[in-house]
Amino acid sequence: MKEKTSLKIARGILVLLICIMCLVPFYILVVLALNSPSRVFYEGNLFRPDFFWGNFKTAWEKSKIGTAMINSAIITAGTLILTIVTGGLAGYAIARHGTKYNKFSFGIFIGCMMIPGIINTVPLYTLMRRINAVNTLWGMIMVCSALAMPSAVFIFTTFIKALPRELDDAAAIDGCNSVQIFWQIVFPIIKPATASFIILNGFGIWNNYAQAVFFLQSRKKHNIPQALSVFFQQFAGAKWHLMAATAIIAIIPVIVVFLVFQRQFIKGLSEGAIKG
Amino acid sequence: MKSKKRSYAQFLSLPALIIYAIFFVYPLLKGIGTSLTDWDGMSTPHFIGLDNFTAFFKDARAIHDIKTTLIFALASAVLLNVVGLIYALLMNSDFRGKGIARVIIYLPAIISPLIMGYIWYFLLQPGRGYLFYAAKQLGLPDLIGNWMGKYSSSMKVLVFVNVWQFAGMTMIIYLAGLQSIPSELIEAAKIDGAGNIQCFFKVTIPMLMPAIRINVITNIIGSLSVFDVIMSLTEGGPGYATESLSIYIMRMCYGSRTGYSTAVAMILFIIILIPVLISMRLTRQKS
Repeated sequence: MKEKTSLKIARGILVLLICIMCLVPFYILVVLALNSPSRVFYEGNLFRPDFFWGNFKTAWEKSKIGTAMINSAIITAGTLILTIVTGGLAGYAIARHGTKYNKFSFGIFIGCMMIPGIINTVPLYTLMRRINAVNTLWGMIMVCSALAMPSAVFIFTTFIKALPRELDDAAAIDGCNSVQIFWQIVFPIIKPATASFIILNGFGIWNNYAQAVFFLQSRKKHNIPQALSVFFQQFAGAKWHLMAATAIIAIIPVIVVFLVFQRQFIKGLSEGAIKG
Repeated sequence: MKSKKRSYAQFLSLPALIIYAIFFVYPLLKGIGTSLTDWDGMSTPHFIGLDNFTAFFKDARAIHDIKTTLIFALASAVLLNVVGLIYALLMNSDFRGKGIARVIIYLPAIISPLIMGYIWYFLLQPGRGYLFYAAKQLGLPDLIGNWMGKYSSSMKVLVFVNVWQFAGMTMIIYLAGLQSIPSELIEAAKIDGAGNIQCFFKVTIPMLMPAIRINVITNIIGSLSVFDVIMSLTEGGPGYATESLSIYIMRMCYGSRTGYSTAVAMILFIIILIPVLISMRLTRQKS
């Protein structure tokens, strides 16, 4: 099936335009972040920034975005580790022991899978206050873990079900107990499952705002979106150069991680789509 | 001996279930009870039956929020799928730079919708944004206009930003769907005399049904609980015009109307349940 050259060129131009449309807002953000503080919004040249790098230093100091980054990193890592370990064990138990109890727990996870967090945030807030978990990173890790748990259980159960049972039996004969079988035999084999779970959930946890706005109100515990929104509200729409510089600092880690792992990332998303 | 081992091993799902039960299922069930009270978050709650729900349907702001949420979700879902499918069709053949293009188009989707909202706020703000100055230099100072002052233009901008950000996500899923269609199928249709357009509607679209279903359902459910992008772009304004139900829930909760805000959450839950049930129904039909 050969395409005509004119069609090929037309498609090339369209794809290029779409790419430009996707990148232009980021370029404008960079221009804005490099504007000198004396410049009034966008008066003057629209395409050439002033290269005023000092904005990044001021933004970093004033916005406390560094603390927020550490908090976001702790929350994301903690949530991923907790959900991979417990969700993996659950997936193993459900895939290998289809007892009534496990069918019931799988039903709960799948049944609630599509319910967004905002539905139970208000009663959850009451509970979190009672157990002193508001404004703590561990509390936020528990909230995010609960939100990601159905996805973990679903992915691990599906992958482990596809593994041959003989694997477990052989290990059992060698004297491994169930936890050892999971951890030493099954878990290393299902690395693709772990990768696709991280791909599907990692950025969402890192970017969480709807829960952070309730559970991370104290300044020291802000995650990135929460810190950014508080910082922006503080300026009430002025000092765009500082706001833009902070936004750039905030999105750099996400972009770097995405670019480094983009191959696995897009492959994982595509495979997830076909399986679902 | 073996059966004993089995019975212990089946409970390895317990840690996950405990976390989920405490931090998701329990508050969900508790919310049903709280929604029937006048609780303000501090003093003793009183049972008031369905008063919160009747109050909700009498509140013009609340009804308007339902409308806003539904319009946003449906418009986003339709446009995300149309745009994502067009992108995927454009990208569905081998050409130089395809890999890079895919990464660039997907890039906005990994960034926090809150931050994306702020970035577009810098671009679009009436009288001060980048595009306002660009239009002014081109001699078209009224091009941007005061879109933030009107409901319809604010909604259009919100939907546009949402579609701009997440079209790459639907594209990836449609690309995977397109690549799973065996090329023999399309060649066979062509041999039978089907044109390109006929081929698209009679072969490609039916073969894409699973991808269409995933995309439509996830986009509708995701957009029904929209929060971040509205908070950063319009803060629900002008007035409460573009406030979504999620934002209303948060504001009512902060306004010490805990009982009422959980009732609103229950109403949002019922609205979200509709697409969830439809998707479960469709999945069951498939298997």
